[in-house]
Amino acid sequence: MGASLPPKEANLFKLIVKSYETKQYKKGLKAADAILKKFPDHGETLSMKGLTLNCMDRKAEAYELVRLGLKNDLKSHVCWHVYGLLYRSDREYREAIKCYRNALKIDPDNIEILRDLSLLQAQMRDLAGFVETRQQLLTLKPNHRMNWIGFAVAQHLNSNGSKAVDILEAYEGTLEDDYPPDNERCEHGEMLLYKISLLEECGMIERAVEELRKKEPRIVDKLAYKEQEVSLLEKLGRFDEGEELYKKLLSMNPDNYRYYEGLQRCMGLYSANGQYSPDEIDRLEALYISLSKQYSRSSAVKRIPLDFLSAEKFRLAADTYIRPFLTKGVPSLFSDLSPLYDHSGKADILEQLVLELEHSIKTTGGYPGRVDKEPPSTLMWTLFYLAQHYDRRGQYDVALRKIDEAIEHTPTVIDLYSVKSRILKHAGDPVAAAALADEARCMDLADRYVNSECVKRMLQADQVALAEKTAVLFTKDGEQHNNLHDMQCMWYELASGESYLRQGDLGRALKKFLAVEKHYADITEDQFDFHSYCLRKMTLRTYVEMLKFQDRLHSYSYFRKAAAGAIKCYLKLYDSPSKSSAEEDEEMSKLPPSQKKKLRQKQRKAEARAKKEAEVKEEANASAVSRSGKRPIKPVDLDPHGEKLVQVEDPLAEATKYLKLLQKHSSDSLETHLLSFEVNMRKQKILLALQAVKHMVRLDADNPDTHRCLIKFFHKVGSMLAPVTDAEKLIWGVLEAERPTFSQLQGKSLIEANTLFLEKHRDSLTHRAAVAEMIFVMEPNKKKEAINLIEESSNDLVSSDGALGPVKKWRLKDCVAVHKLLGTILADHDAALRWKVRCAEYFPFSVYFEGSGSSAVTNSSYHPMHKLHENGSPNNESSLPLSSNGNVEKLEALKDLVIQ
Amino acid sequence: MGAGGREVSISLDGVRDKNLMQLKKLNTALFPVRYNDKYYADALASGEFTKLAYYCDICVGSIACRLEKKEGGAVRVYIMTLGVLAPYRGLGVGTKLLNHVLDLCMKQNIGEVYLHVQTNNEEAIKFYKKFGFEITETIHNYYTNITPPDCYVVTKFVAQPQTKK
Repeated sequence: MGASLPPKEANLFKLIVKSYETKQYKKGLKAADAILKKFPDHGETLSMKGLTLNCMDRKAEAYELVRLGLKNDLKSHVCWHVYGLLYRSDREYREAIKCYRNALKIDPDNIEILRDLSLLQAQMRDLAGFVETRQQLLTLKPNHRMNWIGFAVAQHLNSNGSKAVDILEAYEGTLEDDYPPDNERCEHGEMLLYKISLLEECGMIERAVEELRKKEPRIVDKLAYKEQEVSLLEKLGRFDEGEELYKKLLSMNPDNYRYYEGLQRCMGLYSANGQYSPDEIDRLEALYISLSKQYSRSSAVKRIPLDFLSAEKFRLAADTYIRPFLTKGVPSLFSDLSPLYDHSGKADILEQLVLELEHSIKTTGGYPGRVDKEPPSTLMWTLFYLAQHYDRRGQYDVALRKIDEAIEHTPTVIDLYSVKSRILKHAGDPVAAAALADEARCMDLADRYVNSECVKRMLQADQVALAEKTAVLFTKDGEQHNNLHDMQCMWYELASGESYLRQGDLGRALKKFLAVEKHYADITEDQFDFHSYCLRKMTLRTYVEMLKFQDRLHSYSYFRKAAAGAIKCYLKLYDSPSKSSAEEDEEMSKLPPSQKKKLRQKQRKAEARAKKEAEVKEEANASAVSRSGKRPIKPVDLDPHGEKLVQVEDPLAEATKYLKLLQKHSSDSLETHLLSFEVNMRKQKILLALQAVKHMVRLDADNPDTHRCLIKFFHKVGSMLAPVTDAEKLIWGVLEAERPTFSQLQGKSLIEANTLFLEKHRDSLTHRAAVAEMIFVMEPNKKKEAINLIEESSNDLVSSDGALGPVKKWRLKDCVAVHKLLGTILADHDAALRWKVRCAEYFPFSVYFEGSGSSAVTNSSYHPMHKLHENGSPNNESSLPLSSNGNVEKLEALKDLVIQ
Repeated sequence: MGAGGREVSISLDGVRDKNLMQLKKLNTALFPVRYNDKYYADALASGEFTKLAYYCDICVGSIACRLEKKEGGAVRVYIMTLGVLAPYRGLGVGTKLLNHVLDLCMKQNIGEVYLHVQTNNEEAIKFYKKFGFEITETIHNYYTNITPPDCYVVTKFVAQPQTKK
């Protein structure tokens, strides 16, 4: 480095490098300038100066200098390396890899560059390249532990597990007998466990067990050792040993559900779907009775039998299980039991059971068959459970009665208000739900959970501004929701994006959805540091697990929701493009001159204000920089409301970007292909739309949306002109060949297929609505028939286990969708109104249908307390001694008291 | 908690901005009066003299006091409200709250604690007498809209630990 320079300058050059490494950028800059004074064209110095400037946030200059340096000295590996580092700092990994490769052409054995390259290859999953680089590093420095491990991991990631094992064994061969020294025992143990997991992965189970037992004294993590051992024993079918080992593990942690599951598997008493024969149930019962004697403090051992027991035995077990929780007051009891509601018959038993407890406490003060009185709170917790129970069963009126009774009993328990809020949300009244959640929040202003819950309810009620204000109460320094963004608070961004989407503010909606997408990009980015860290720390099992998690990162639901939201925004933008500025001008010209002037003035003022604000912020940032000498916190967001996002030229191209990610990572979700259908139909990409339809049919042929897309697609294709170009003819040919593969369409016209679908799903509202819509699409003159088909649907009672329950079949969400169908696509306002009136009866709490019990009508019926506190009390003069003390026992006497 | 034991601990906690709503909820449930901001400001200002009582971590009762300066600089305590939610009465919650305030008075050399009680509220009067309160005055037509409109002033003079110094 700096070889071409005279000694004095060469020393200065070394100083630049050292200053860069120790982050003393100013010093480095000075040294660089000193060299450049004498040798203004010295390439490596120019490059290093550029790299230094890059760290001082002078990006443009940095790139210019680095490129100039490279031009002046194309044969210098330093210049190429620096160029690579610059790209790396901007996350342009592909470009960075190219630069490193060029540097290595000049200096093939440069360890530093090789190491940097290997990190990038791991990040980009260039696995073949990763293996190669790692091998080279090992060849160059075989006495370095990290190089052995790195090579092994690279082979493993490149799907060559057995090679990885060989490398690790070779590495072990290089070690002295007394290895490891005391301070490296953990690392060595981790390496051994990693090797054994590799053997397991390669199917060499016998060898894995053998190796594990041989190395036992060297493995520090004893729990991992046992878990690994039991998993291997199970795979070998050595169930007796497995059983023993699981029992040992249970004695270490009797609340780990996986151990119980494993134990059951070893005893031949496990079924993935939870179905057991009567004989098996008896054996399971006996097993858990004996286990519960051993582990009396475990809650898992008491809870698990509720899953496999049924009928009377379930009733008894549930009774014993529930009582102490109600006495103690465990608010999570319902969520603990809620999975049981999916087992047939258990919900009814639980209902009967808890109602009996309620009755007994109300009449005798204690549980049935007990002399002891329960504490007063037991009744409240029982009502609390019942409210959630009825909520879950869709009996919202009963649920509300129960929760109101509980609140009346003890008005100070926050959970009661949270649950009431949830019931109201389910019942279709998001406004009242938000008010209740806010009431809960006010009862403990220091509780972040109730605050967040309240924010979410406000967003569901489309009160975005209020939600933002409430959320900011818990962010640092009140620096607005930028802070929520920095904390990657995705639930907030999603809920707020969805609210904006509902309200038609596509810019802000996109802003939020894309913010979530950005978080996912950041999470991908975050793995970078671990490529070197984990190899050094030897946490290899976790490292590989993390890499695998990163590979499926975009299949997680938050990303799916954000991508779907963004695509919906772009679809809307395409369907109704936002007003261009020309159109706006046109609108302006329609206004009278006086108003025009006013409006202009207003706009100008707003612009000036925004500009000033931005300047102030920038200044603040700049001063922060000079003070701390660090990078500025972040640049000002130039488009805080997403106005620029709305002005994309080709919304469908943008949508396609996110669609591709969904297709790659969430191909099993119907929504992915539904969105793909919508996007590609608009793009006239017939074959891609066909592919989407095929996927939908594969996933769920009976889904109303699938039916809709199928019919729409072939209807659209059928109405197209005969093919002219070769490409069109090709598409035509594919369609001809593909159509018969849909069994729904075999030998039938589309109209027949539609009718057949109706026959198959005659009793389902959503299916009828889909059929009606398709009738209208295919034969617009049959609109009346379509509407009749919907209106003749009947909302029957749900039957469970042969008996009719108290709840009707239709779901609020579906009824809302039908209402929109009637009002927009079928465009029959009378029918829509009739539908609304009818649904208002089914859903009395629904704000959408203006049901009689909803806040849209009654205004305050479901949050009287809340209103009360807001009013304040101007009448009460403070000097008056108000007193109603002494009412420890009796209050009736004071009922009419009024203070003046 | 001991296994199977039914003994439930009652604990006291102070009133702060963050949980003031708990006190408001209690008052709404307990008294037919809507208290104004002054009441809550006084309660907050009284510090340790205003407390919430928790039964099994549920807030079930409260005592709220105002510290008053008498002529000559001595301080006396006025109990603005003392109440326990109906289902949780008879469990010693009220006693615990009142004893807390009386103990504080002892410690801080406050000689006088008083309050108002409607004249027909015999149970309350009996309750306070148990703690050494006495009827010291009757105010006629103290209340409007309820009968009887009269109230007693009920006072306890706290014996000061004389032995010190």
